[in-house]
Amino acid sequence: MKLTTLLVCALVGVLAAGCRTSAGTSLVTDHTTGSSVLFEGNTRLQNKLAVNGVTYDRVPSGLNRVNIQLTSLVQGTQHLQYRIAWFNAEGMEIDADSRTYRSLILQGMDSVTVTGVANSPDAVTSRLRVREWRAAR
Amino acid sequence: MNVRSFYCLALLALFTGCATAPRITDSELDRTPMTTKIEPQDIRRTVEKMAESLIADPEVGELTKNERPVLDIEPMKNRSQMIVDMKSITDSVRTRLIRSRLFRFVDRSTAGSDIAIMDEQAQLGLTDQRKAVRPGQQSAAQMYLTGSLSDIVTRSGRVTDHYYKFTMILKDLRSGEIVWTDEQEIRKTANRPMF
Repeated sequence: MKLTTLLVCALVGVLAAGCRTSAGTSLVTDHTTGSSVLFEGNTRLQNKLAVNGVTYDRVPSGLNRVNIQLTSLVQGTQHLQYRIAWFNAEGMEIDADSRTYRSLILQGMDSVTVTGVANSPDAVTSRLRVREWRAAR
Repeated sequence: MNVRSFYCLALLALFTGCATAPRITDSELDRTPMTTKIEPQDIRRTVEKMAESLIADPEVGELTKNERPVLDIEPMKNRSQMIVDMKSITDSVRTRLIRSRLFRFVDRSTAGSDIAIMDEQAQLGLTDQRKAVRPGQQSAAQMYLTGSLSDIVTRSGRVTDHYYKFTMILKDLRSGEIVWTDEQEIRKTANRPMF
């Protein structure tokens, strides 16, 4: 009986550990049309973070730049990571390995603007990905 | 009794087997911090931030509007207590900037090899002298990129706080003016458990 209980507990533990997801909030922006599409890949993060606004411009050297305002929906401090990837007109990611996740410590109910500059003149669309800090290993 | 002994031996074999070889896995490049030292993800973030900041700067934008300026790099100075390959950081920034196709770079660190190859072309008799490259034709760097890393360590009880600051500058060789500069600050705290 005790062994069965132990096994069930272990199984529940394994299942719970397996639930940790690295998916997060993604925002795809298109500089040619000025449109943006939001994907919520993590319900926990969906309730804790909102995308408030997106603006597009070009830096003086001619590369595209995107500014995205993120707002915390909770009182506590959130430890997040974000990454902005850039894609060419064919939808292929440019220089995928070099784009890094940056730390984002968001205070309760606070807003912050994250900025990404394209890494190539060919970059026309960008994808912001936000994940919880603990999703990184 | 025999069955119990068998299970005990099997368990023992299982546990001793676990300790013989380390489990090695591929890790994500942007993993969570393991120590308060400078880690690969800190270098990657610093390089990305510096390259983006340089590309987005209005004055640098004016310089790159009609031409691709020729730059050189001077390895960053390490003023911190940590051993960090500073040349590798400036090399990574250079890679990013070259990929942006806004700048061209010369590399003084391979100048000795350049001369050796040109000497071989001129003297060994293997190269068609009409096609041989002669010294004195290389591009001149108009600006160079350099910087420094400094740190402050604070310890209080079981808490260790480590603050790092990367500073990079782009200096115009002709005027001696600093055209662009930016900083990246990193702060890490380690809390040692009581037991």
